[in-house]
Amino acid sequence: MDRTSGNASGAVALTGVNAMPAPTWSWLKMNDTAVEIPAGLTPAPAAVSVEPAPGSADVVSANADAFDDALVAAGKRFASRARASAPGDARDHVALAAGEVDPMDVPALSRYQQGAVRVEEELSVEEAFETGMGAEAYGYLRSIGERPCVLEVPSGASAQVRVRVSGTPGTASVASVDVIARRDSSLELTVALNGTGSEPGLIGAAMRVFAAAGSRVSITTVQTADDAFISLDDAGIFVDEGAHVEVSHTVLGAGRSYTGLAADLRGDAARIDVDTSYLGAREQVRDFNYQIRHLGRRTTSSMDANGVLAGASKKVLRGTIDLMHGCTGSEGAERETVLLADERVDNKTVPVILCDEDDVAGNHGATIGHVRPEQLFYLGCRGLSPEAAEALFISAKLEDAALNAPDDEVRANVIRLGETVIPGFGEEIA
Amino acid sequence: MAKKRSEVADIDRSLYDFTYGEEGFERLDAGLTPDIVREISERKEEPAWMLDFRLKSLEIYLKKSGPTWGPDISGLDMDNIVTYVKPNTDQRSDWESVPDDIKDTFERLGIPEAERSYLAGVGAQYDSELVYHNMQDTAAKMGIVYSGIEEALHEPKWEALIRERFMTLIPPTDHKFAALHGAVWSGGSFVYVPAGTKLDFPLQSYFRLNAKGAGQFEHTLIIVEDDADLHFIEGCSAPKYNVANLHAGAVELFVGRRAHLRYSTIENWSKNMYNLNTKRARVEEAGEIEWISGSFGSHVGYLYPMSILAGRRAKSSFTGITFAGAGQNLDTGCKVVLAAPETTATVETKGISKGGGIQTFRSSIVATPEATGSAATVSCSSLMLDADSRSDTIPAMDIRAKNVDIGHEATIGRIGDDKIFYLMSRGISEEEARTMIVNGFASPVSKELPLEYAVEMNNLIKLEMEGAVG
Amino acid sequence: MTVQATPLLSLAGVTASVDEKAILHGIDLEVAAGETHVLMGPNGAGKSTMGHVIMGDPVYTLDAGAITFDGEDISELSCDKRSRAGLFLSFQAPVEISGVPLSSFLRASIAGRPGLEMKGREFRRRVKELAAELDMDVSYLNRELGVGFSGGEKKKVEMLQLLLLQPKLAILDETDSGLDVDALSVVSRGMDAYRRTTDGSLLIITHNTRILEHLHVDRVHVMVGGRIVREGDAELIPWIDEHGFESFEREAAGVPMEA
Repeated sequence: MDRTSGNASGAVALTGVNAMPAPTWSWLKMNDTAVEIPAGLTPAPAAVSVEPAPGSADVVSANADAFDDALVAAGKRFASRARASAPGDARDHVALAAGEVDPMDVPALSRYQQGAVRVEEELSVEEAFETGMGAEAYGYLRSIGERPCVLEVPSGASAQVRVRVSGTPGTASVASVDVIARRDSSLELTVALNGTGSEPGLIGAAMRVFAAAGSRVSITTVQTADDAFISLDDAGIFVDEGAHVEVSHTVLGAGRSYTGLAADLRGDAARIDVDTSYLGAREQVRDFNYQIRHLGRRTTSSMDANGVLAGASKKVLRGTIDLMHGCTGSEGAERETVLLADERVDNKTVPVILCDEDDVAGNHGATIGHVRPEQLFYLGCRGLSPEAAEALFISAKLEDAALNAPDDEVRANVIRLGETVIPGFGEEIA
Repeated sequence: MAKKRSEVADIDRSLYDFTYGEEGFERLDAGLTPDIVREISERKEEPAWMLDFRLKSLEIYLKKSGPTWGPDISGLDMDNIVTYVKPNTDQRSDWESVPDDIKDTFERLGIPEAERSYLAGVGAQYDSELVYHNMQDTAAKMGIVYSGIEEALHEPKWEALIRERFMTLIPPTDHKFAALHGAVWSGGSFVYVPAGTKLDFPLQSYFRLNAKGAGQFEHTLIIVEDDADLHFIEGCSAPKYNVANLHAGAVELFVGRRAHLRYSTIENWSKNMYNLNTKRARVEEAGEIEWISGSFGSHVGYLYPMSILAGRRAKSSFTGITFAGAGQNLDTGCKVVLAAPETTATVETKGISKGGGIQTFRSSIVATPEATGSAATVSCSSLMLDADSRSDTIPAMDIRAKNVDIGHEATIGRIGDDKIFYLMSRGISEEEARTMIVNGFASPVSKELPLEYAVEMNNLIKLEMEGAVG
Repeated sequence: MTVQATPLLSLAGVTASVDEKAILHGIDLEVAAGETHVLMGPNGAGKSTMGHVIMGDPVYTLDAGAITFDGEDISELSCDKRSRAGLFLSFQAPVEISGVPLSSFLRASIAGRPGLEMKGREFRRRVKELAAELDMDVSYLNRELGVGFSGGEKKKVEMLQLLLLQPKLAILDETDSGLDVDALSVVSRGMDAYRRTTDGSLLIITHNTRILEHLHVDRVHVMVGGRIVREGDAELIPWIDEHGFESFEREAAGVPMEA
């Protein structure tokens, strides 16, 4: 990872970013992405602020090892969960080498499947932990930020924290945040990624989240940067027994926006819900990678994405529900609805379910295309032509984000973006 | 009801699992060199362009690397695969003159009987060469050509047509095993259905790979001209050996304007087979391709029939079932390219995995900017019969058109205990109940098959399900 | 009978089908400005279809006849143009549109309408006023259209649009027999307010006469099997209340009326 260490002044090319765990045909160019980061960006730690709400100030911790310690401690509890044997596992390979079994009786695993067996049988919790954008991008982001801000919510306590990244041209501003939500605690975390200016800049977040047993963590991220910016939003989340994590990603701005999230539902009855809302216009690029690994029993996940693509924008959404061996009684669901409002858009969607357990339910669905006929008729009955209906979906994306903005500053950022698309936007919804 | 973990007993596959010796057969050396390719070409007395094509393909093969995303194929050592095995007979058009052991093989597989009762023509390939080819006079009188592709290459009229189309849908550059196919292909069928001709009965080709450690590389080229209609059935099987066999066939289908082609396959290779087969269809304006695909055998399977909808209002439907048992990793699915306005595609697949077997549904739906007004729906469901098995679903969509409707639905789960309980409460044994439910799950595919093949498929499911209950 | 030289809405010999199955057969119907008409009939008679055909639902094909509104033949117009000409159809089951806040939708529906278009602040004041009139929680304005709304809430949203758009003629499709008391009162309140604030016409499609209790009805049309089989004044309503539609159905089937 030499290319990506510390020095942000040279041009950087990150590879293997947002790689889906089980890849498919390489000619589709969906498996992962490369991110070119322009030369000459200066790290700007001052552009990042962490603001606990009144009464939440004590959650900012000086213990830089808190996250790793929590993961190691959890790993001790989960060590005994390892699977006895799997078809094509290490034991099978020993037997194969000794000539004890017919090679044709051992399934020939794909690389992903070999990796899954390793996660199930060999890797510790901390070895298996990953973020959605992958090691290279995560390493780069962490190298930009100052030392990570550690937020530790004590058992049973509740807290609200805002993280703001306010990018400026010529700088790279990244929030490195470790979250440890102790047993039965609750945390509301808002992450505002913003950047203004017409010269290149980079904004980002590199987050690790440990949601201990019974905790409740909600993360709301709104990205509202101008087109000259690259946004890199990376997270890895560990979810312990009975913990519930809710994530909301709103991607409205930045010329190139990359979002990665990996969740490890290790504890029984762990749950994660991810809601994604995105808008693509002009030449914008949106690239998402969500991977949710179910390891605990009766775990639940949902991913729900709703997007509008206009202009010559490009989008890739990779969503993987990974139902691993032993996650009996678990359920994963994934849905994406995309409206394509221009013939120049390129929309790539790959909703994956990987399943190594029979007592589970996985389902996914995708609807890609234009406004549904019955919606078009309804809107028509209210005077909207098909073109006006399409425009409504675009403006509604911005209005929805403004109406539901977590605070006034984020609302102002949304309105700033809205003004560039719809003149008078601010007056309309203020 | 208590959850049972299934113990999987060995399946009795004696129906397909019989072998004969290779006395009098000619076997080229194992491995792959330009000399082997030249020798194959020489024996076939091919036109020079075909030898050139083979040698170029070999070069591509040697340069290309294998797939990195699918089942491991490192167990397939090409140095040990015999690419050409010629049985001790020339091609015949009556079963009586086919040598006894080969005839007996196809008798046991029921091919001559099927021919007598409902097929318009049959081709039978044994290892690398066709040993039997025959078509009813009525079909011949309609102007339909159904012959060995090598035979057709020796007729100037067809040679020109074959040269124009051969490996244009599946170019050797497409992937490593397409290149291999281009270098060492042998046998296979050529079908030409003239414009406006509709054949009421299906044609069938059956591919049997008997030789141990060998590869089969047949090429099927079918041209259905404008307004014509054809149903083609392909069957495959092999006995089991403890060394790898390879099947890398290629199927190229050209469907004309308003023409219709149904291509049905039941692949029932033995469980030492690496099945790396490639099938593609190009469909012109208002034409239609229907794929019916059942994948049962093979140690490793890579199979994704592809439809290229090149003409306005062209249609594709794909109905597939994959059943992966112990030791199997079957990666199957389909590809569709919507490349013209108002095209439609439907995909419905069923996957079943059992006894530690792995089945993956993999697909791609690509809509080009020309595909305005097009629609595609994909629906796939997977059934897990026990906790040791695996079932993955990897569907990709790349949509670059406006005014399209693309829908995708997938589910994975197991047989509900309530269903088993209900059937058992009516006096049905658990094994019977499970088989019944799995057959019901597979019925969208089996109902698309001619009756005889639907019965075969249900028998295969039954074979796979035997011993499924501990 | 009220006969005017130029009725506001006029259907002449309207025959319509869906998927080549004929549903409406030669419908003639006229509604004058300011009048309230009721279209009644048993389930499956084609009443809702008629509302959709008048509005120009592309699902249906107009096989014969013409629809004239406000002096203009609208038979070929798309539904958004019919809306802008002053027609309104309330849906018995409004669609859900996720990702679109109700307020964004309402703003888009009045955009470019002379006399109705309003700027931000004025728009919000007006919508809040109407919400209050209908006893609707203003927080709904920020929610996605129809998503997670109860039946009564969906009705309120329909009535709010009726009052906001002030059409010349509103077709209220209230064929849903499952309408509860709350929803009924919402519809009644909406109709009252509409009649009070505009001189618009109403065409109410229903088989539930309770909704008509406090309403002055000018004309009643009875539809059976895609045909208008009877027309009369408001007196027809209590008669139908008592006798139902059986006699009309028998008559339509060619059986002589016993009553």
